[in-house]
Amino acid sequence: MTENTGHLEALMMQSLKGDQRAYAALLQETSRLLRPFLSRRLSAASEVDDLLQEILLSIHKARHTYDGLRPYKPWAYAIARFRLQDFLRAHYADQLRHAVDFDELEETLPEYVTEPAMSYESIEREVQKLPDKQASILQLMHQDGYTSREVAEKMGMNESAVKVAAHRAYKLLRKKLER
Amino acid sequence: MENIQELINTLSADTRVVKPAPHPFMLSLKWMGMAALYLAVSLAVSGLRPDWAAKLHSPWFIAEMATLLIVFITTTFSAALLSFPDMHQRDRLVYAPLAAFALFVLVMFFAWRADSPPSPLPVHSIECTLSIMLMALLPAGWTLYAMRRYASTHSGAAGSVALLSAFSVGALWLRLYEETDSIVHVIERHYLPMLVIGIVGMWLGKKILKW
Repeated sequence: MTENTGHLEALMMQSLKGDQRAYAALLQETSRLLRPFLSRRLSAASEVDDLLQEILLSIHKARHTYDGLRPYKPWAYAIARFRLQDFLRAHYADQLRHAVDFDELEETLPEYVTEPAMSYESIEREVQKLPDKQASILQLMHQDGYTSREVAEKMGMNESAVKVAAHRAYKLLRKKLER
Repeated sequence: MENIQELINTLSADTRVVKPAPHPFMLSLKWMGMAALYLAVSLAVSGLRPDWAAKLHSPWFIAEMATLLIVFITTTFSAALLSFPDMHQRDRLVYAPLAAFALFVLVMFFAWRADSPPSPLPVHSIECTLSIMLMALLPAGWTLYAMRRYASTHSGAAGSVALLSAFSVGALWLRLYEETDSIVHVIERHYLPMLVIGIVGMWLGKKILKW
């Protein structure tokens, strides 16, 4: 453990001197170190990957604040924790912003319970007028029957982003159909 | 995973020689030196209070100035530590201003008790707070600007101590310039606004020290 820690400091010192190989090795070691830390705190693998990329970018930006004279791990973890907090704050703020109010839900609930009065085909033309990404998401989910996770994989997005985009699309559609 | 590898390749290809940031001790010394110079120039322009020589024999005035100086030194050092993501791994020293403020409050309490019968209140009131704030603008600006070059992970706290450090420069200047002996006035108009400044600094830090 100590040997590995010393190794990281040495790699960082070499990186600060412009050694590209040492820097690549350091970033690889760092991502190996941080992945389990993030996986324990985030459920979706895509979120772990996104955040890990952001942390590596932050480490790159802040590398001048490390002098090689103190342990590397606490420095890297401080940045990781900072970005994780940022991510969670934004994530929950986004969820709150897009949370459906119960009153709003009551208004939009259709009278029927078991059978939808509207099929995808009947509103397809309106769906096509939506922004491309939203239209594709709705098409994949409601015409082709994919789940939001499958849509996320197909479109290279994370699942929560797909849900958010779909929710926005529903809102837009509702406005259009109400006119 | 592939994206991570791609990113690592891009970042490592982009790396070059990087000059490490100075030690926070040196950084804070630099900021303190600049503030001392600013204070000296300001006092040279505005002049010292007429009774400054007599004040050198007033133990509570000396104690007030000394503890205010300690507040300035500790807040500046804390601001320098907070500019680093890991606080240079000296977490405990970041809290040094708390001890300095506790000492300062204690000194002001005894100075207030010693001010008996109370010295008359000056005719002005809010002008003192405004003068200190005006005087603190420049040091606050350069400290926050300098802090932006680093990478604070506690931007709220960093902004707060930076502004308190600048405000203490202004407070030192006013006590050395203005001939006021009323401790009640000094507490109310010079030092209590520090509470608001700390909160404003927290908000400002979160806005300015984002990275």
